[in-house]
Amino acid sequence: MLRFVSFRLLQSLVALAMLSVVVFVLARTTGDPLHMILPMSATEEDYANARRYLGLDRPYVEQYLTFVGRAVTGDFGTSIRARRPVSELLLERLPSSLRLAVFAMAVSLAMAFPLGVLAAVNKGSGIDRAAQVIAVLGQSLPSFWVAIILVEFVAGRWQWLPAGGSDGFTSYVLPGFTLGWFVVAGLMRLLRSGMLEVLDSEYVKLARIKGVVERRVIWLHALKNALIPVVTFAGIYFSILVTTAIVVETVFAWPGLGRLAYDGITSRDFPVIQAVVLTTAAIVAAVNLGVDLLYAVIDPRIRHAR
Amino acid sequence: MKRLSRIVALSLALAVVALTFTAPAGAQPKTELTIALSSFSAETLDPALQGHNVKYYLSLMFDYLVGTTPEGQPSQAGGLASKWENSADHKRWTFHLRKGVKFHTGEEMTSEDVKFSLQRAMGKRSTTGYAGPLRTLIQDIETPAPDRVVIVTKDPTLIIPTYLSRSLSTEGMVLPKKYIEANGDDGFARKPVGTGPFKFVEQVVGSHIKMTAVDNHWRIGTPKYKTVTFKLVPEETTRIALLRRGEVDVADVSRERVKELEREGFPIHLRKDEAVIHMWWVLAPDGWVAPVKDKRVREALNLAIDRNEVAQSIFAGRAEPAAIPFGLSWSFRDIGFKVTPEMAYAYDPARAKKLLADAGYPTGFTLDVYAFQLPGFPEGKAFAEAMAGYWEKIGVKSKLIPVDYPAFRKQWVDRKIPGAMGYYNAANRDWIGTYALLEKQAYTPSKLNDTVNDPEIDGMIAQVMRQTDRDKINALMRNIFTRLRSEHYGVPVVYVHSPYATSKTLGKWNPGAVMYDLFIDQLAASK
Amino acid sequence: MAAEPAGGTLALPETVAAPARGRGRHVPWIPIGLIALFVTAAALAPLVSPGDPYAQSLRNRFTPPVWDERGTWAHPLGTDRLGRDMLARILYGARVSLAVGALAVLLASSVGAAVGLVAGYYGGRVDAALMRITDATLSFPVILLALILAVTVGPSFLNVVIAISVILWARYARVIRGEVLTLMQLDFIAQARIAGAGAWRIITRHLVPNTLNTLIVLITLQVGYVIIVEAALSFLGAGIPPPTPAWGSMIAEGRDFVTSAWWVSFLPGLAIMLVVLAFNLLGDWLRDTLDPKLRQL
Repeated sequence: MLRFVSFRLLQSLVALAMLSVVVFVLARTTGDPLHMILPMSATEEDYANARRYLGLDRPYVEQYLTFVGRAVTGDFGTSIRARRPVSELLLERLPSSLRLAVFAMAVSLAMAFPLGVLAAVNKGSGIDRAAQVIAVLGQSLPSFWVAIILVEFVAGRWQWLPAGGSDGFTSYVLPGFTLGWFVVAGLMRLLRSGMLEVLDSEYVKLARIKGVVERRVIWLHALKNALIPVVTFAGIYFSILVTTAIVVETVFAWPGLGRLAYDGITSRDFPVIQAVVLTTAAIVAAVNLGVDLLYAVIDPRIRHAR
Repeated sequence: MKRLSRIVALSLALAVVALTFTAPAGAQPKTELTIALSSFSAETLDPALQGHNVKYYLSLMFDYLVGTTPEGQPSQAGGLASKWENSADHKRWTFHLRKGVKFHTGEEMTSEDVKFSLQRAMGKRSTTGYAGPLRTLIQDIETPAPDRVVIVTKDPTLIIPTYLSRSLSTEGMVLPKKYIEANGDDGFARKPVGTGPFKFVEQVVGSHIKMTAVDNHWRIGTPKYKTVTFKLVPEETTRIALLRRGEVDVADVSRERVKELEREGFPIHLRKDEAVIHMWWVLAPDGWVAPVKDKRVREALNLAIDRNEVAQSIFAGRAEPAAIPFGLSWSFRDIGFKVTPEMAYAYDPARAKKLLADAGYPTGFTLDVYAFQLPGFPEGKAFAEAMAGYWEKIGVKSKLIPVDYPAFRKQWVDRKIPGAMGYYNAANRDWIGTYALLEKQAYTPSKLNDTVNDPEIDGMIAQVMRQTDRDKINALMRNIFTRLRSEHYGVPVVYVHSPYATSKTLGKWNPGAVMYDLFIDQLAASK
Repeated sequence: MAAEPAGGTLALPETVAAPARGRGRHVPWIPIGLIALFVTAAALAPLVSPGDPYAQSLRNRFTPPVWDERGTWAHPLGTDRLGRDMLARILYGARVSLAVGALAVLLASSVGAAVGLVAGYYGGRVDAALMRITDATLSFPVILLALILAVTVGPSFLNVVIAISVILWARYARVIRGEVLTLMQLDFIAQARIAGAGAWRIITRHLVPNTLNTLIVLITLQVGYVIIVEAALSFLGAGIPPPTPAWGSMIAEGRDFVTSAWWVSFLPGLAIMLVVLAFNLLGDWLRDTLDPKLRQL
């Protein structure tokens, strides 16, 4: 087991290392950050000064090694635009992103569970059809479209909920709902089909013959088995939520990682771009590792494969 | 099944309870002021690192050496210098400082701090707008007494007080020497300290800047608001929703949504003619490039635009047609420049086509038009598309190239795209602001961002710099504008008014006519 | 996610027998019809459209659709901010969205399937190396990559397709690899090897046919995703550049006028929803008929 864990951990680190090179190169291809921070009247000398001051005149290899060397200790350098340590900026934003993702995930799970189970149990009925409609809609609506409509009506016109920023529990509702909407759809379908499969299986048939109460059959036996792929996907969806929240963050003025990356890219702020991409990759890798671990615990066959 | 319905009922009940706590703010006496802006431009809190002058929030934390009224006039009541005078040869400027002004850390402000701040603003690390000209201009800074600063310039000049005032950029902000020396530049940027009516509390880059009031300030008395927060909210619908909910008190809004807000009773404050939307051609490394080298082509491109239609439609009527390239109209009255009806460009596509044919382009030519968004100019891309549309109608095949502004600026400065069109919303300014701009042009050795290549105008600018006689300066500046217009050195389109919507209970506010400043501190003034 | 294959050891079948649970739902005519409608409309756009999607007329800006009292038949779905006809723009926008969807998915699936097949077949270090590259790719956010490209090289149709494909292939690789791993455990592969079949033959004659169903389902389900991603990119300004009509940028242009000129944002959003819905429903049906094992997709 330990071998499995350490092996997977090593693989994740290798993946991250490869990513660091890619993002280093990509960030530098975006352009010259000096155009953003120097005034129009800057001279060649001003540019040279600024370049030296920011360490942008060193050879690329040296810049890369400095970057990686520091990154391992958590120091991602200084933001060119904000002139503050990037790790501080990350620390300001990461909790918001995580909180929003957790909220969205919680809401989605709370909605997906009853819907999925009910749909499976009442297969073919009105509930089932309604749940399927919700599921398909959830994966077909562009999130930014939903976001704009929600902000204009629910926040602006009817004033039921806050529109932006991140103070207070209620300000999570609109962005969380917009973000997690598609997760409800995915998880619900997964749960439904998983339940359907299990409910038809020998194992459940046996339980019924043995006289186990129907409700117990559903909630205890069937659900437990249907949960495995759901758990896997919940993990994956969570990392998707954290890494693709940029559109929701833009519309709701949510101070998260997505907007940090966007501002970094538009201002050619290399340290910020590098830091955000690596952080989100690390989060995804950590979640994947966790899911794989969970899976290995549940299904011993995986542990021993390769 | 029963369990499920109980869960549902409970959740609904919780939801109702939660919603009652989010009822929009009622009309209680406000101690908090929140301003939502669509852009913060540069977000560092160190005045020396503000490459683009966004003083909205810095003017609350720092005081300037020379004060400015909301109308842009120098004021002895608004700055740390209670009076100033110049020597007869205009080379020595003496500033008398107020006594008893304290930094947020408790130390008293003295001439040492002024000298330190100015040297820092001119230093190598500085990226302020006018660091270059100041470096060329200032020879020495003397501190004969704790309440007196003398600035010695290399050439006679009228403009030192303006450079160090609120009406231009951030060079005049006075910073605490001991604090910066003790904490370093980065420490200062993290926790800025000034003498302004508001103290820094926290900044989340990309989200908000929060400050709290000092007890009593020499400029505005006891501030009416305990906390002031600037929020960055790029999405307009969200900004307006925040306003409707009472979560923000002031928000900048786009011109197109003003009508809807007025209908709902939200007060709208317009900064009239805040900027001129001006288009120009990128130069080649050695100057003008065909076809825009030909004056007739430049005129044709101007005549093809229906400025009235643009002002009414794209800018929702909150704009006025512009007639003078680079026409910084707030200066016109001061220098006696009159824009006569003949100077206004008519909408005459027929004549435009004829001019093109005369210049040798009967079938038109291709023109690259760069399209980008700019802070304070949300109509950017739509505007570029509209212009391209007008030029298509006179046979000029306009290719729209969408980029973001940094990408365009790089190509412009590197002169890689000669003949292509770009545009900017140039902040309007009074005569001395215009003078400062010309001086920037004159004293910058490498003229990377030139948009006009005209030796006669260069000569006039050089002459203006030598002058201390107002009448001669005015005459020269009038001539510059006249020539810009007669040679069609650009396509000025409209002057835009910038709307700011406030909550219904905010009260009186004059956002002023000063570049990049909203005089929020005046809102909080109790004097 | 190793599912127990049904069928056990049979004598050299070319394909694995599908599990007995056939869903047998009716053929989904509505989604197919919708897709056909959009594809036809997009293909015939120059013939069907009421006008030039680029022709602007500032005087006619924000004309409402024809059923509103101020609407006119000259612009059945109204006009946008620059007075351009909405119906024309939606039709031409369909071309863009569908083209991006098709191209990106085809590109990504070819590359991804190839990688998955190779990784699954060879196993060992080849598999480990390829999977690490796949993982690294999967963890890079699509939108950020597209933004970087847009900012570096400028936004364009090609950049959008490239940005999406460069990340999307990894999904196919992962799923196909999983399928191949399962298949490799089966006896008929061992038998083929014993019979002397080389890698190429096994991959093309045994593995590809058995993974084709998965691929088809995945492709259908991914088209909708790609269309939404392209729309999100255009919304952020990193997608298809103006003045080319693209549903995402049309929504972006109308975002400040949700109540005053609702049709500018609403109609393109509706179009996206219908197309994506159709592809998703079709994909669902395909999955249920071809291989219910894939329900985690």
